[in-house]
Amino acid sequence: MKLDVNALGTFYQMAQEGAGLAAGRLTRLTGVDTRVGVTKLNFMRGSDIRAELADESKKVGVRVELSGGLGGHAVIVFDRASAIRLVETLQPTIDDAPSLPEGPDDAFDEMNRSTITEVGQIMNSGFIDGWADVLGTAIDVATPEFVEGDTAEAFLADVDTTPGADDLALLFQSQIEAIDTEIEFRYYLFPEHDAMAEVLERQGADGESGIEYDKLAGFDRLAQRGADEVASNVTMLTGIDTSVEIRRLNFVPLEAMPEEIDDEQLVGVAFEFDGTPSGYLLFLFDESSAREIVRAMVPNEPDDEFGQMGQSAIKELGNIMASGFLDGWANVLDTTIDHSPPEYIHDMGAAVIDPVVIQLGENQEFAFVFDTVVQAADREFDCNIYAIPDEADLERAINDLPMNRIEDAPTKAAIEEIETDP
Amino acid sequence: MKTYGSEPGAPDPDPIRVGISEFVVSDSGQTLKSYGLGSCLAVGLYDEDSEIGGLAHIMLPDGDANDASEDKPGKFADTAVRAMLRQMVEKGASYTDVEAKVAGGSDMFDFESFGDGVGQRNIVAAREELDKLGVPIVAEEVGGQRGRTVVFETDTGAFSIKTADGDQEVREL
Repeated sequence: MKLDVNALGTFYQMAQEGAGLAAGRLTRLTGVDTRVGVTKLNFMRGSDIRAELADESKKVGVRVELSGGLGGHAVIVFDRASAIRLVETLQPTIDDAPSLPEGPDDAFDEMNRSTITEVGQIMNSGFIDGWADVLGTAIDVATPEFVEGDTAEAFLADVDTTPGADDLALLFQSQIEAIDTEIEFRYYLFPEHDAMAEVLERQGADGESGIEYDKLAGFDRLAQRGADEVASNVTMLTGIDTSVEIRRLNFVPLEAMPEEIDDEQLVGVAFEFDGTPSGYLLFLFDESSAREIVRAMVPNEPDDEFGQMGQSAIKELGNIMASGFLDGWANVLDTTIDHSPPEYIHDMGAAVIDPVVIQLGENQEFAFVFDTVVQAADREFDCNIYAIPDEADLERAINDLPMNRIEDAPTKAAIEEIETDP
Repeated sequence: MKTYGSEPGAPDPDPIRVGISEFVVSDSGQTLKSYGLGSCLAVGLYDEDSEIGGLAHIMLPDGDANDASEDKPGKFADTAVRAMLRQMVEKGASYTDVEAKVAGGSDMFDFESFGDGVGQRNIVAAREELDKLGVPIVAEEVGGQRGRTVVFETDTGAFSIKTADGDQEVREL
């Protein structure tokens, strides 16, 4: 089976329709205004999904098994605090409202559990009705199950469709923001392999274009090599000990990208790269992380971290990171990828990315975004890396990739000579 | 707008966030807001007498040459301006009284692949379409290398811009 952009576009539409219906139903039920936030299709490794669910915060979820037009499992996961707020919002409408758990370790009582299950199920059915609409099929939903805990097992036990540690799963991630109330949740769909294959077959255009599903692992290899090179280059140059925290491959409409980035001021370095694939690469730091970098790289701390000295330090670091990242890719793909000199930016998050979105938007509607977060253990250093390759180039590069190369492409740590500004 | 829950009865928040490729028309005095425009362009249309206004957050110049403009007129300068003006007139605005204010279209990066600049293309396209329709541009702040956030209050027609410069000063156009 092949993943082509048509089929992925259909999945995206499912995620969005589902989120719209779920948000509307949540509003009708609770009277709380809601807004559908960013909807994403993620390609995530099983081990990363488990890590995300086991991030030590207590969570509450409602899980259902699906069959019919789309078999698999769907789980809605709330932060514990969000679940409590949800019950609080609904309590005035319930006679003999139960008391909420007081301590952080107190369990939800039976009444609370059933309230959460009811809300979860109403949202579940919103999502699932949305998917069924898009697919033009009927999806059957089993009885909802209340799940709770701070481990991945709590949410994934008995779900036979979850991916293995190194398998890449196509995951829906939707966010509904409740205005004036913080209710956050994540939504996971784990479709059966065969159900996915069938949907892909039906939605795909001609069966010839597209990316081989089994080569999806190649994406992850790219993401991994690129990110590892960046982290080791940063450590070498600044002495700041960094590691790769998050690594995702998102499939998003270009328009969703500026929405996803924080409204706060960001400092960053941008590049265009040229080869197979070509595209754009951005390294974005929050202001305090950027200050930390300048302090680590400039011997005498400047008065203004973002003055001339600071800017060139950040550009230099960006350049090293870009070389590392693209070397990582070039090694996996057995090709060369050149990049432009660094462009420094210090501006609102969305404004930083929209020029790239516009440029790619002339020829494509969706983009594969390699989304990586590099962090330091002992100080503030958060770097978001966005690599956005040209879609056609990427498809070609991945399909040309021999399977054995995906398995054992070598990495080399290389630091190229830094281009200095005239 | 679909973004705010697609089931009927879901109330609209205020201010309404006008995301990239969207446009919103209001006849009830809502505040419309577009965050962090870089090379994107914000076009605000306003009829002072009827207090009907609209804001578009435009991504690309030419919708007439692109099939996607049928589903997403707000994405392109030409189709966004036309669709917004039509909706305003349907809601009771007087065509001949509508005026435009334009902001955005910065060129943040000097990349080879960007040619003359992606922001510049949107500015030119919006100006051309407004001119064709006979809608005067009464104020604009376009180009440059900074991002902008635009807030458009449709009860008064106030159109203000915030940039990310040191003091984050708010300017009214």
